[in-house]
Amino acid sequence: MQPEAPIVARDLCFAFGEGELRKQILFNVCLVVEPGEIVLLTGPSGSGKTTLLTLIGGLRRVQDGELRVLGQQLNGASEPILVKSRRRIGFIFQQHNLLPFLTARQNVELMLDMERRLTRIDLASRTVSALESVGLGDRFDFEPAQLSGGQRQRVAIARALVGDPELILADEPTAALDSKSGRSVVDLLKNLARERGVPILMVTHDARVLDVADRVVSMEDGAIIESAGDVESAS
Amino acid sequence: MTRLPSSFRIGWLQVSHSKTKLLIASSGVVVAVMLMLVQLGIRRGAIDSSIAIAKRLTADVVIVSPRTKSVFKPSSIPRSVLQRAAAHPDVVRIQPLYFGTAVFRNPWSLQEFPISVYGLDADQPMMDLPGYEQQRSRLELADHLAFDLQSRPTFGPVAKELLAGNEVVTEVNRRQVHVVGSVSVGVSINTEGTLYVSPANFNRLFPSRDLGAVDIGLVRAKRDSDPDRLARELSEFLGSEVRVISQQGLVKAEENYLRETAPLDFIFGMGAVVGFFIGFVVVYQILYTEVANHLPHYATLKAMGFKQSYLVRVVLSQAFIFSVIGFIPGFVLALGIYNLATTAIQMPVLMTLGRATAVFVTTLLMCGLSAMMAIRRLSSAQPADVF
Repeated sequence: MQPEAPIVARDLCFAFGEGELRKQILFNVCLVVEPGEIVLLTGPSGSGKTTLLTLIGGLRRVQDGELRVLGQQLNGASEPILVKSRRRIGFIFQQHNLLPFLTARQNVELMLDMERRLTRIDLASRTVSALESVGLGDRFDFEPAQLSGGQRQRVAIARALVGDPELILADEPTAALDSKSGRSVVDLLKNLARERGVPILMVTHDARVLDVADRVVSMEDGAIIESAGDVESAS
Repeated sequence: MTRLPSSFRIGWLQVSHSKTKLLIASSGVVVAVMLMLVQLGIRRGAIDSSIAIAKRLTADVVIVSPRTKSVFKPSSIPRSVLQRAAAHPDVVRIQPLYFGTAVFRNPWSLQEFPISVYGLDADQPMMDLPGYEQQRSRLELADHLAFDLQSRPTFGPVAKELLAGNEVVTEVNRRQVHVVGSVSVGVSINTEGTLYVSPANFNRLFPSRDLGAVDIGLVRAKRDSDPDRLARELSEFLGSEVRVISQQGLVKAEENYLRETAPLDFIFGMGAVVGFFIGFVVVYQILYTEVANHLPHYATLKAMGFKQSYLVRVVLSQAFIFSVIGFIPGFVLALGIYNLATTAIQMPVLMTLGRATAVFVTTLLMCGLSAMMAIRRLSSAQPADVF
């Protein structure tokens, strides 16, 4: 039996505001992301990419249409179900959004605090291996302010991955980085996702990283205009 | 091995990350705790010292004039009424107590200062005056009297001389007296110092006073009789000319009188409330800016699956930490001020467990309230806004 696709969106519509101020952002968006697939979402700003991402991430309520993420129906879902769904997803933001008063280790560990069953030893070893996997084995006790932009984004990746997410959502993870560290962050993300077979949906403007994707989806004016398949990595 | 709740650890790491903020917020709490403890302590001290005389009466029942409002401002009752009370089968002994205010000449500076004078027979006095009865033979001599060692220093180093075994010769109400005895009782906000004398010597100091006019009638009841019932029976028996109450009733009446006439509750209560608001505002300011500065981070935590209640606990933990860190030095400072008050104005101000607990709980409430106000900002941390 074929496993269910991690993201299935059908005829998603979304609008901000009410009445005359109502501004529709998404128009009948249909999108399927298959297991293990890396999908990039591109398009000009204002095209609705980020709104789509926040809907999939359970950060906004679905207004109209159908959305299933990791087998959970999100249209009409209650807040506790949305919270539960968020916990199964690894988020990577444009800004690293690490807590400035916590060290790299503590920032990553915080994610595991949500899972109450873990013993202290499990917690520590999973944190260490997550940070080592992003190449920061020697930066455990550094605070975000003591790390470079690329290193911070790597901590953010370790934080997103430490909870063993079933899906990774990334919003322009390279936007705040120079091209070299942007490249290495994306490569890292791709390799880690491939190892674990976790699908990625990444919003990006950055033409330099399009090659990591299995598929590039373009959006314009709130609708998907083109879905280019099989953009295999050139590297 | 148990770990502290995650929200508490995050709260601690957040407040301890900025030592300046921790210091400011905690000093706000220190000031609040100190003010509350000092104000409430001095209020209690003032009340306690003013009812100390009523508390020291060991009589079971007291007879006072219906005009008497306080033992410090008594109206007199005829001694004959007191003697009639002795006829009640449950009454064992009666004793008159006289009260007056005289002027005491400081024998060193030769200046005169007002002083309270109690006239009470040293033969089984119905008042708890340590050592008074033992000095009876000397105090019964004409113009010999006892001095309260805890009187304020305005009267000169009388206590020092007495403790060295010397007698002090000076004038009270322009009459030469020998201060030969000493008791250690303590003064109140009403008086600077106290003399204890026999009724005969009281009459010598106040020649215009008639010993037939008693200020407070002291009644010793039979051991097994109920003072309240005896007071009721004597009251009926003696008529409306006098008021008869149990000693405990007198203590209560004194406290009520003091609280009605002296605005102690208002003045000291106000001070405590001001302390509360200082702490509240400082803690609120700190927590509010913390929440505002970290709003994107809190929104991130929400996006990653933390519930609003987790963030609320983070902020409440910070409030709790401020409370505890501020309470301890505030408590110690208050103890220092209590000590200072006790030595500087001879008014004992004591820390009670009840007050310490009440102020600690109030501190928690104060910080908790600040946190709840600051948290209102948290609900605006929309997880979708971090993208």
